[in-house]
Amino acid sequence: MGPLVNAATIAEPKLVVDGLVKEYTSRRAPAVRALDGIDLSVGDGEIVSIVGASGCGKSTLLRIVAGLDHATTGRVEIEGCPIAGPGPDRGMVSQGYSLFPWRTVRANVAFGLECAKVPSRARAERVDELLGIVGLGGFADRLPGELSGGMRQRVAIARALAPEPDILLLDEPFGALDAQTRRAMQDFLLQVWARTRATILLVTHDIDEAIYLGRRVYVLSSRPGRVAARIDVPFGSNRSWQVTRDPRFLDLRDEIRDLLLANG
Amino acid sequence: MTPEATAVEPHVREPSVAPGPAPVPAARGRREHPLARLRGELPMAARVALAAVGVVSLLACWLLASTLWSSGAFRVPTPLSTLRAGVELWTDGDLGHDLLASSRRVAVGYAISLAIGVVAGIGIGSFASLEAYGEAPIGLVRYVPATALTPLFLLWLGIDEAPKVALVVAGTVFYNVLMIADVARAVPRDMVTSAYTLGAGRWTVLRRVVFPHSWPGIVDVARVNLAGAWLMLVVAELLAANEGLAFQLTRAYRFRRVDTMFAILVVFAVIGVASDLFLRWLRNRTAPWARS
Ligand SMILES: Nc1ncnc2c1ncn2[C@@H]1O[C@H](COP(=O)(O)OP(=O)(O)OP(=O)(O)O)[C@@H](O)[C@H]1O
Ligand SMILES: [Mg+2]
Repeated sequence: MGPLVNAATIAEPKLVVDGLVKEYTSRRAPAVRALDGIDLSVGDGEIVSIVGASGCGKSTLLRIVAGLDHATTGRVEIEGCPIAGPGPDRGMVSQGYSLFPWRTVRANVAFGLECAKVPSRARAERVDELLGIVGLGGFADRLPGELSGGMRQRVAIARALAPEPDILLLDEPFGALDAQTRRAMQDFLLQVWARTRATILLVTHDIDEAIYLGRRVYVLSSRPGRVAARIDVPFGSNRSWQVTRDPRFLDLRDEIRDLLLANG
Repeated sequence: MTPEATAVEPHVREPSVAPGPAPVPAARGRREHPLARLRGELPMAARVALAAVGVVSLLACWLLASTLWSSGAFRVPTPLSTLRAGVELWTDGDLGHDLLASSRRVAVGYAISLAIGVVAGIGIGSFASLEAYGEAPIGLVRYVPATALTPLFLLWLGIDEAPKVALVVAGTVFYNVLMIADVARAVPRDMVTSAYTLGAGRWTVLRRVVFPHSWPGIVDVARVNLAGAWLMLVVAELLAANEGLAFQLTRAYRFRRVDTMFAILVVFAVIGVASDLFLRWLRNRTAPWARS
């Protein structure tokens, strides 16, 4: 198991973040160093989790990778290329609900394909395929306002997957959901991943979620945000809720909790 | 256990000691009448009934005023004589013609004003640079009362259609721009960033995200400021016109026809209500997702 993980991270990482520093300057307050020397990498087809306390800079990190914000210093590269701005190669599902409420589920998922000028036939096929993957085939013509929170997040994930991004950035995608729905959505994400082998960088503040979904977990400390630990998760890619009772899972959870307490 | 508690005990064990109806427990909280509930829901029937009562009370006030002041200089015509004057105006005069003339001026002027409002408003609401550039001059010019421009426009543009249309534009365009800018600013950040990460460019985001999200708000702004357009039209027509509703108003004044004047006022009110209902319908029809 160990060598395999290393092979995946050393060979061809999709995303490399190296010495990333982000400072917010404002006239009223002294500069805030939100991120202070973050190093991380995500290999092709991996799910990597980031956990950290609220305000430690998780969203900032994701926004910088997405190209929505710029690093103060440091290197961020996707497949060896630096990032100038947002693009369809880096799909993002943000913390809040960001679906277009005037578009049907189908049209929401199709948005990225329209931007890429995919012909309508191919577009419809791809949208149907994705709606099948996220289990919303029967809701294609509904408006987001008619869906539950969990369904909306599934649409958002399908929409982000549509342009076949190199990496999917998920910012607490299930944060607003209740515990049961959240569990279902985590299994759902694993299923989607099993079918698409998408590369995923997942931000969460839920330790169980980070371990359950991630092949690797980065634990961030707060103010300034630093990588406090990088932990490999010793479970294969076929996971079920059985692993949450595995003693190694429980040990990992305790270890991460202690790290967060020490660095919160 | 305290002696008191022991003394109470038999009552608790044997309620049959006190026969008769069981005591009704006092209700918790204050019941409010449905008509006086703060921000409460109202059943449709009550809503319609109250609206009808409102209209009837307006008519009643009018009727009362017309009986109190039925003659002399300060004279209020009865609803019936107003109706008769309106019919007369329609059959012998050219109410239809004047209505058309006035509506056309408002329609053209307001369409120009809205077009400017949508383009400039979305620009100002979406780009901080345009906001910084545009807000100060608009803020300055906005405080010039548009009605004060009337003589200037008459001087510059003659007495035909142009100054009237220009006044309608001048009187509404700044409100439209600033209010539509607010509407565009309300587009959630997450929605815009999602569009960017899905591969949309600036123009696509404006066209496919900012505009559709703002659309119901734009219709609402149009609804609110339409009254201002009619206000400007009346000012323009009062000063220089030979057709139009306000022109008929000045004519009625010359002949001391208070009933005709009232009939024209009613026409204004009806146009206003009709256009309001139409815009409301349009909003719900074109943006069902934003229906409140
Ligand atoms: N635009 C900004 N200007 C100034 N400071 C900012 C800005 N955005 C974020 N920050 C600061 O950067 C820090 C990290 O914010 P960020 O949103 O990345 O946290 P987070 O880890 O995502 O928190 P949460 O779990 O609550 O979402 C915070 O201390 C915040 O105050
Ligand atoms: Mg966040």
